[in-house]
Amino acid sequence: MNISIDQLVQSFESVGYFPDRRLATAVYLAQALNRPLLLEGEPGVGKTELAKVLAQITNRSLIRLQCYDGLEQREALYEWNYAAQLIHMRAAQTERNAEQIEQEVYQSKYLIRRPLLRALETPAPGAVLLIDEIDRADEPFEAFLLEYLGEYQVSIPELGTIRAQHQPITILTSNRTRDLSDAIKRRCLYHWVDYPERVRELAIVQHRVPDLSARLSDQVTQFIERLRLQPTANAFSRSPGIAESIEWAKALVALNTLELDPEIVQSTAGVIFKQRDDVAALEPLIEELLAPADKT
Amino acid sequence: MQLGDARKGKLAHNLIGFGRALRRAGMPVDASRIALAQQSCALVGFDQRQDLKAALEAVFVSRHTDRTVFSELFDAFFRNPEIAKQLMAQLMPQTKAATEPKRSPRAQEALAAPPPISKPSKSVPPKEEEIKLDAAMSASAQHRLRHADFDQLSASEFRLVERLAREIPLPLPQFKARRSVQSARGDRIHWGRLLNEAGRFDGEVLSLPKQRRRLQPLPLLILVDVSGSMERYARLMLAFLHHATRHLKRSVYAFGTQLTPLTSAFNEDDTDKMLLQTNSVIEDFGGGTQIGESIATFHHDFRHEMVGRRTLVLLISDGLDTGDLTQLDQHLNWLAKQSSQLVWLNPLLRYDGYAPLAGGARLIAKHADQTLAIHNLDSLEKLARSLARVTSKQIHEPFNS
Repeated sequence: MNISIDQLVQSFESVGYFPDRRLATAVYLAQALNRPLLLEGEPGVGKTELAKVLAQITNRSLIRLQCYDGLEQREALYEWNYAAQLIHMRAAQTERNAEQIEQEVYQSKYLIRRPLLRALETPAPGAVLLIDEIDRADEPFEAFLLEYLGEYQVSIPELGTIRAQHQPITILTSNRTRDLSDAIKRRCLYHWVDYPERVRELAIVQHRVPDLSARLSDQVTQFIERLRLQPTANAFSRSPGIAESIEWAKALVALNTLELDPEIVQSTAGVIFKQRDDVAALEPLIEELLAPADKT
Repeated sequence: MQLGDARKGKLAHNLIGFGRALRRAGMPVDASRIALAQQSCALVGFDQRQDLKAALEAVFVSRHTDRTVFSELFDAFFRNPEIAKQLMAQLMPQTKAATEPKRSPRAQEALAAPPPISKPSKSVPPKEEEIKLDAAMSASAQHRLRHADFDQLSASEFRLVERLAREIPLPLPQFKARRSVQSARGDRIHWGRLLNEAGRFDGEVLSLPKQRRRLQPLPLLILVDVSGSMERYARLMLAFLHHATRHLKRSVYAFGTQLTPLTSAFNEDDTDKMLLQTNSVIEDFGGGTQIGESIATFHHDFRHEMVGRRTLVLLISDGLDTGDLTQLDQHLNWLAKQSSQLVWLNPLLRYDGYAPLAGGARLIAKHADQTLAIHNLDSLEKLARSLARVTSKQIHEPFNS
């Protein structure tokens, strides 16, 4: 537990995740202060990946709650297995009285555990709980999370209060499709995950796509970096994330590419951009983006 | 914390001062945050400035838009030990102009706010300057500004009013979307829920859970006139609408002699940044007006914005048009038919006996479903109220039929 920021960076890198120091500091604090960490950033910058890697390096199990519109307590926390309870009730009706049946029906074996409850019940060393894309859930669900994140306990009326054995490390991610409430932000540490700088992206691409030649990975990261730095006037509707760089690198390997040229960029543009307008806007820029590095 | 340790004692003070500056810049910093910041400082240590900054950022910042302000204020606070002096210097009019424009307006305001009581300011600033530096307002000033015409405000008042306008909530009308939600008074039975409920009561059906279609706000199209006669209103309306509709799907276009898409500028979170970007994108700011031409361009190039005749169109213009009237008539007709509501927001309604006599104004009045005034804060609030009311009355009819 008592590891420094440097050690944290090292252990991240040992499993192929290259965080910048700011991110490592935030993760370090989240662990040390026992606070949930809210990560925001563009799609494809490695928010979800961080939770996975964190689970790996802390030897904890990863429990993931994918949020969506209309997510409710029974999908997030727990639910009774009504069908099984019903069968039990019918079977026991003739032999036992109502009290006995009631006791039997509300056993924990009829409890369906959803991610939040499982995270509480995980034995040592605890879990890494990933609450993914929290912005997709609605505001009532956010309010429901407040108590959970504050106390790490839940009350199930039939069974009593369940408290965390080992507090999970909680990572929340958001794509900012809407603003989260201040109440939830107050309880969390916050970090904005940026696109990585060139060197870091190079390291990531090389680690993820080892078959890619050094020259080509250099070209790929430079191309993508220049794309992201395009002035707002001809900015694309969505800048490519790290995920796209990696996908693109893989595509280039699959095509046995030796060097980037306008033709190959054009034919693989669909990997970088998923919008027709963006692909079209890329075309006149290709020459400029491919220019040798010493010019800039 | 150790007693008698002078350095740590300073830190607590500095953090509180820093927290207060952040609060002045509009960030939600409370005492528990500051306490948390102290803990983090102790954990991270002071050897590396970047680590300290990252740690404080993780604690204090909770919105992407606040990051720049945080960074600027952090640099101002923790680099320059002479910050108190600098604060004083900010208050003096003569030193202000030369060194300013580096920081963002919000950071600037936070630094320019009056220093804490322990450091009384020596000079009394001149009257006009007072408003620029101090963001707080007296009640009577607020009242006056509420009813003051936007076109007659001084530069500093305009800035204040622009801030106030951002606070006005704008509830938009809603329509019934495809997805359904559980509801006490729905029109369909929620079968999954019904089975679950039955399971809870020994197989007996005791109630009928219902569902209904979810309500969703109408998509919004904003067309704003940026010609010379509209310049100030346009800027203010952009700031107001940017903030009021920040959670909604909206498309924004500016027009003068040509049409400029502003939707990507509107995707900026920060209203000040949005305005800066708008300034640089619009080439005909403060020029002439050719509404017909502009709407024709919209019709031709951006018709996909009008989906399912559901869009609520806000046309912000004074209707003083110098273009071709037949063209205007034709395209306005199209626009009115494609939208669920065409609302004309007209600053000229500030004149009591105003009637739309000019050619362009007459045509807009003919096609618009309603006309609302936007010349002062009071009228903006009325606008917010009537948009929610009138449209909800008119929209539900076509969708239910």
